[in-house]
Amino acid sequence: MRIGTAPQTYAADQALFDTRTQWTWLALLGLLLVAFPFLVNEYWLYMACLVAINVASATGLNILTGYTGLVSLGQAAFMGMGAYTVAALEARFGTPALLNLVAAGVVAMAGGAIVGIPSLRVKGLYLAIATIAASFIAHFVFANWTAVTGGTAGLSVPPARFFGVALDTSFRIYWLILPLTVLMVAGAANLFRTRIGRAFIAIRDRDISADVLGIPLLRYKLLSFGLSSFYAGVAGGLWAYFFRVVTPESFPLLMSIFFLAAIIVGGMGTILGSILGAIFMTLVPELLKFVVDWLPFENATVALSPVRTMVFGALIVGFLIFEPHGLAEIWRRIRRFFHLYPFRT
Amino acid sequence: MIISKSRRATLGALMATACLALAGGAAQAQDKDIVIGGSIPMSGVFAFAGLGIHDGIQDYVKIVNDAGGIDGRKLRYVPEDTGYKVDASVAAFKKITSQNEVNLYYGDSTGFAKTINSELDRMGTILMAGASFASEINDPEKFPHQFLVGPDYTEMFGILLRYIADEKPGAKVAFVYSDTEFGRDPIESSRELAKSLGLSVSGEIMTPPGSVDVSTEVIKLRRAAPDYTIFHGYVLAPIPEFIIQGRKMGMKSHWMGTFWTMDNSMVMKMGEAAEGFMGVMPFRYYYETEGDVPMLEKIREMRPEYQSTAYTQGFLTTMLFTEAVKRTLAAGKELNGDNLKAALNSIENFDTGGIIGVPISIKGNSIPVGRIYRADLEQQKMLPASDWISLDQ
Repeated sequence: MRIGTAPQTYAADQALFDTRTQWTWLALLGLLLVAFPFLVNEYWLYMACLVAINVASATGLNILTGYTGLVSLGQAAFMGMGAYTVAALEARFGTPALLNLVAAGVVAMAGGAIVGIPSLRVKGLYLAIATIAASFIAHFVFANWTAVTGGTAGLSVPPARFFGVALDTSFRIYWLILPLTVLMVAGAANLFRTRIGRAFIAIRDRDISADVLGIPLLRYKLLSFGLSSFYAGVAGGLWAYFFRVVTPESFPLLMSIFFLAAIIVGGMGTILGSILGAIFMTLVPELLKFVVDWLPFENATVALSPVRTMVFGALIVGFLIFEPHGLAEIWRRIRRFFHLYPFRT
Repeated sequence: MIISKSRRATLGALMATACLALAGGAAQAQDKDIVIGGSIPMSGVFAFAGLGIHDGIQDYVKIVNDAGGIDGRKLRYVPEDTGYKVDASVAAFKKITSQNEVNLYYGDSTGFAKTINSELDRMGTILMAGASFASEINDPEKFPHQFLVGPDYTEMFGILLRYIADEKPGAKVAFVYSDTEFGRDPIESSRELAKSLGLSVSGEIMTPPGSVDVSTEVIKLRRAAPDYTIFHGYVLAPIPEFIIQGRKMGMKSHWMGTFWTMDNSMVMKMGEAAEGFMGVMPFRYYYETEGDVPMLEKIREMRPEYQSTAYTQGFLTTMLFTEAVKRTLAAGKELNGDNLKAALNSIENFDTGGIIGVPISIKGNSIPVGRIYRADLEQQKMLPASDWISLDQ
C-alpha cells in the first residue's frame, strides 16, 4: 500500500510521476516499446504503428474536446490537411521527413485556427456542426484542387528517408512513428501543468467565468484549436508516410467520429484516456476477428462478420454504461485497488 | 506500489505468456498448399458483392481440389473481413501474409490496390487481382503484380460507346456519374472517345455520392435531351429515380450502366424503371444456357439458387489464378509475382468454359471484352443485346 508521498516543493507537487515505482514501470514500458519490433511479426508491427498514429490524433482531439470542452468533428479534415501536405512536399520536393511533418502540423494548425473562429459565438453541439463543415470543405478542396492534391485519384507518397534508408516496412517506420507519438503525448501531458493548460480547463468548466478571470477567450480557444490540429496534422503526415497513398476518401467524417468515440470511451480530459481509447478502438475489431477465428464453427468468418460489428458496438455501449468516465477511470480504479490493498477503496 | 513477491511472479509469468502467444501466434501452415489470400468485404457497404465473391472463390477452389489440385498441390483460400475499409484491408493482408506463404491475393477495393502496390512490389511474391476495375490499375508498368478481372471502367465505356455508335451513328450521349474516384474514373477519356466515334456528349451530370433527391439533376438531364444516358459510379440508387422522373418528364433516352449496376437482382430491384435498362457485362449471367457453357452448368449444379455477377467475378479470378500457377509450375519456375504475372500474360485464346463468350487473352492488366445486355422485365432477366465486343482486336 502506498503511503506518504508528501511533496515538499511546488515542482515536486506538479510532477507527473512521483514515485520510484512509477518511474520503474515507465522504464519497463520504454524497454518493451524498444524491444517490441524485434519480437513480433509484420501484422502486429502494422497494428502498433496504426495504434500510435491514432493515439497521437486522439491526444490532439482530447486537448480540444476533453480539456477545452470544444466539441469538434473536424479531426479527420485536419489529418487530411497534414497528410496532403506531407504527400505534396515529399512527392514534389523530397524535403526531409521531419521538416515535412512539421510543415504538415503548421498547415493543419492554420486550418484549425480558421475553423475555430466560430467557436467564439457558437458552443457545444452547434460548434460540432460547424466543424463538420470543415470536413466537407476539406474534402471538396482535396477532390478538386487537382494541381496540388491530384484530384480524386489522390497522391502516392514515396517513403520517408532517414540517412538514406527508406522507411518502407512497418519495422522501419515504427522508429519514426513511435518516438514522435511519445513526444507528442508527453508534450500534451506537460501542457496541462502550464498556465495555458489550466486556462483550457477553465474554459471548459465555465468559459464566462474564465473570461471574467482575465483569460482572453479568443486567444485561448483559437490556441486550443490550433494545437489540436497541429497534433492532427502531424498524425496525418505520419499516416501518409505509413499508408503511402492519400486520397480524398481516406479522411471521411466517419474517421472524426472514430476519434471522438475513442476519447469518449477512453476518458475525456485525461491523457491516459486518449491512449487507452485509441488502443481500444483500433485493436478491438481486430481482436474480435481472432475470437471468431478460434470458434469451432465452419465458415465462422463469413457468418459472424456482421455479428463482430455488433459486438464491437455493444462493447462501446457496455463500457460507457459501467464506467461513464471511460477506460482511464477503470484503470485508475484498478490502480487504487492495488495502492490501498488490503483496505477497501 | 507494493505487491507481494508471489503475486509479482504470477503477474510476470502471465504477461510473458501473453506476449509469447501473440508473437508466435502463427497458424500451422502446410507448405505444399498454394494459398489464395483475400481481403473480402463481408460486412459494410459492399457486403452484397463481398459475399458473392467469397462464394465464387471458394467454389472454384473446391473444383480444383476435387480434381486433385495443381500438380498434386491443393489450393487453400484464406479470407478476412474488411468492411470495405482500406486500413482493415491492409491489416488483413499483413495478417494473412504473416501467417501463411501467400502467392495469390484478392483485394477488395481500388484504394487497397493502390495502397498495397508498393508492398507487393517490395515483397515480389504475390500476384493480385480484385474487385476493382479502375483504369489507373490497368497500367502494367505502375502495377506490375496486379490485374483486373474484366475490362476497366474506361474500356467498359468504350464498349458501350461503340455499341451506341453502331446502333445510332451521331447519337447524343449523356454521362451521369457520382462524385467519387469510382465515378470520375472513365469520364475524361470517354469524352474524347465519344467525339472520335462521331457521338456528341450532350450532358455530363455529377451527383454527390449517396444522394437521394436528384430532381434538379433530372431537369438538367432533360435539357441535354440525350439518346443514350450512361450511369456510372453507382450500385443502385439514384438510377431508378433518374429513370422514373426522366420518363415522367417525357425523356426518350435509353438508359445504360456499367458492371456494378448490372447484376440481375440489382436491376430487377429497380421495379418498372428496369424495363429496357441496358449495360455492359463481361461475363455471362448465372442462368444463361445458349452457347457452350460447361462452367455455368457446373456452377448451377453446385449452387441451385441465382448467383450474382460478383460470384462470377470471384470464380473467374480463381480460374485465372489457377491457370497462371499451372503455367508457372509447368515451366519449372518458382511461384513469385513476376513469374505468375508473366504466366498470366501468356494466356492467349483461353477458354473460360462459357463464363466469357469468346476466348480471352490477357496482354496487359485487363480483359477488355464484354457484351451489351438488356433487361427483360417479363422474364425478370438480363438478356444479351449484342455480340461479344473485344477492344483489343
